[in-house]
Amino acid sequence: MNAAQVLNGVALGSLLMVLSSGLAMIYGLRGVANFAHGALYMSGAYIAYTVSDRFNFWLAILLVPLALAVIGVVLELVFFRPLQHRSHIELGLITFGLALMAERIVVLIWGERTLRVTPPEILQGTTTLLGVEYPTYRLSIIVIALALAAALVLWLRGSRVGLHIRAASQDIETAGIMGVNVDRVSLIVVSLGCALAGLAGTLAAPYIALDPGMGNAFLITVLIVVVVGGIGSIGGAMVAGMGLGVIQTVSTVWSPSFAVVVPYLALTIVLLWRPTGLAGKRVS
Amino acid sequence: MTTTAPLDDITESMLEGPAPGRRPRGTLIGLGVGVVVLFAGLAVPYVITDTYRMSLLLDATILSLMALGIGFLARHLGQISLGHGAFFGVAAYGVGVATTNWGWSPTAAVGFAVLAGTAISLVMGVLVVRASGFGFLMLTLALSQALYSLSVQTSARPLTGAHDGKLLSYDREMTFLGLTQADVMNPGLFWPFAWIALTACAMVLWLVGRSPFGTTLEGIRENEERMRFSGYDTFLPRLTAFVLSGAVASLGGALFAINAGYVSPEILGFTTAGDSLIAALIGGFGMLAGPVLGTFLFVYAQANFNFGGNLHLFTGIALIVVLVFMPGGITGAFQKLWRRVRRSRR
Repeated sequence: MNAAQVLNGVALGSLLMVLSSGLAMIYGLRGVANFAHGALYMSGAYIAYTVSDRFNFWLAILLVPLALAVIGVVLELVFFRPLQHRSHIELGLITFGLALMAERIVVLIWGERTLRVTPPEILQGTTTLLGVEYPTYRLSIIVIALALAAALVLWLRGSRVGLHIRAASQDIETAGIMGVNVDRVSLIVVSLGCALAGLAGTLAAPYIALDPGMGNAFLITVLIVVVVGGIGSIGGAMVAGMGLGVIQTVSTVWSPSFAVVVPYLALTIVLLWRPTGLAGKRVS
Repeated sequence: MTTTAPLDDITESMLEGPAPGRRPRGTLIGLGVGVVVLFAGLAVPYVITDTYRMSLLLDATILSLMALGIGFLARHLGQISLGHGAFFGVAAYGVGVATTNWGWSPTAAVGFAVLAGTAISLVMGVLVVRASGFGFLMLTLALSQALYSLSVQTSARPLTGAHDGKLLSYDREMTFLGLTQADVMNPGLFWPFAWIALTACAMVLWLVGRSPFGTTLEGIRENEERMRFSGYDTFLPRLTAFVLSGAVASLGGALFAINAGYVSPEILGFTTAGDSLIAALIGGFGMLAGPVLGTFLFVYAQANFNFGGNLHLFTGIALIVVLVFMPGGITGAFQKLWRRVRRSRR
């Protein structure tokens, strides 16, 4: 094991962190595990492909989260808000249906072949860090993701909207009674969660190959991260995402067939040991 | 927050539940209908002579077993499982391994496979039945996905054939309850086994649902905590229901493998279980027949509307439409209609 492998793990963990914090936020507020999160991440990556192909990658980093935030607004207004009194499982299954559709729509627009995105020139090549030559682009993923995570935590802890989000995640009814505009908070959270998924997709695009199955493959890992971190806990999801990314990558070096079951093993162990997840208070 | 006394709800939901002691005639009528359906179904190969149509019907019957298991769990326990592909798939691989690797006869292999699938459902059940709602959904999904990931590992190749799948091969003299390998692949000849399995399982699940045990399950579904406060053990009934539903799915998987003669890793994956769940949801959980109806529709749609590989686009739309506009599925909509007709007649 060397520093490069650990850094690879951190890079994967960073992506998981960004994705799962969005999922955890939506889960915390609406009580719905968004099965379309993988599809959002995939759509983000594909839109990033088109934008960086036509214009450049920097624009993609800016535009894709915005586009996905718009999708998030649609999701909230068309599904989450009108159906909030339905059972959460039903809503979750609706997002499952959306994910199925999104996967096909992506194939219809971009085709089934694998696509590649080239990172911008400044981020190509390698940088020497901790005594190893490491791809600059992956380092920048780590830096962007960590900065984003820090900003998100500060925003949730420090701002008024953040306070409302935390209150509504604890108990949406009581928060509503106390004067928090729950619909507005939910709109912010869902669009932000989708934007984060889009950003994760954009960041991942030059790092991995794009194919229509990429969303599903990641979705299950991200769902596991959210459950392991403690359902609805954003901090827990971040820590679990990073931890799982590092453990999985590092164990791949030792035994590839062991590494594929690491997330499932982690899930089973954590749920047997602490049924509510690492940072969770409730199982729902 | 509820203001009603907790006990009220339990007795109420128990009275609403089917109590066999009070309605033995209903049980007899139901069983009679079941037996008639069973025998009527046996005539299907004589009516439908087209092999392709017959094979579609057979596929739907076999896949219905998985949907039936999922539906039972959803109906009586309120739990939605995405992990039934694991039992179906493990049983299918069980047949493959027992015949091809160990040289067992197909009949013994099917018996072994059903036991293997059921054993997996017992292990998974111990881990998951305490969870509820989303926890349950995700755990079943994750654990079945773990099995899938293991099955496609290169180190699992001798057993599962990894990504290539597993081709069944056994001696020419060996038969599955009298059918040779060529016979079991003939949908008309294999039909009675699948049909009897489906109707028998449906009747067993129906009886279990009407038994006192079924009432206990419904109590747990309505309020698990109250059942515990009332002195019921809730873990064992939930585990039993889970294993029962897993056993039904395993039987489906074993029959599937014998009939197809080939097991691909996809059947362990999340798409198979997801498709089956969608079919069951579209059919509706309100009746035991709902998931079966949904599966037949799904197989029909798969055969007829799969142009350009867009099946999942349509199933996604169908799933959303059903969940948004008629949450009880097709059978639920019919039940509602029937109730309205009866009320207007009075």
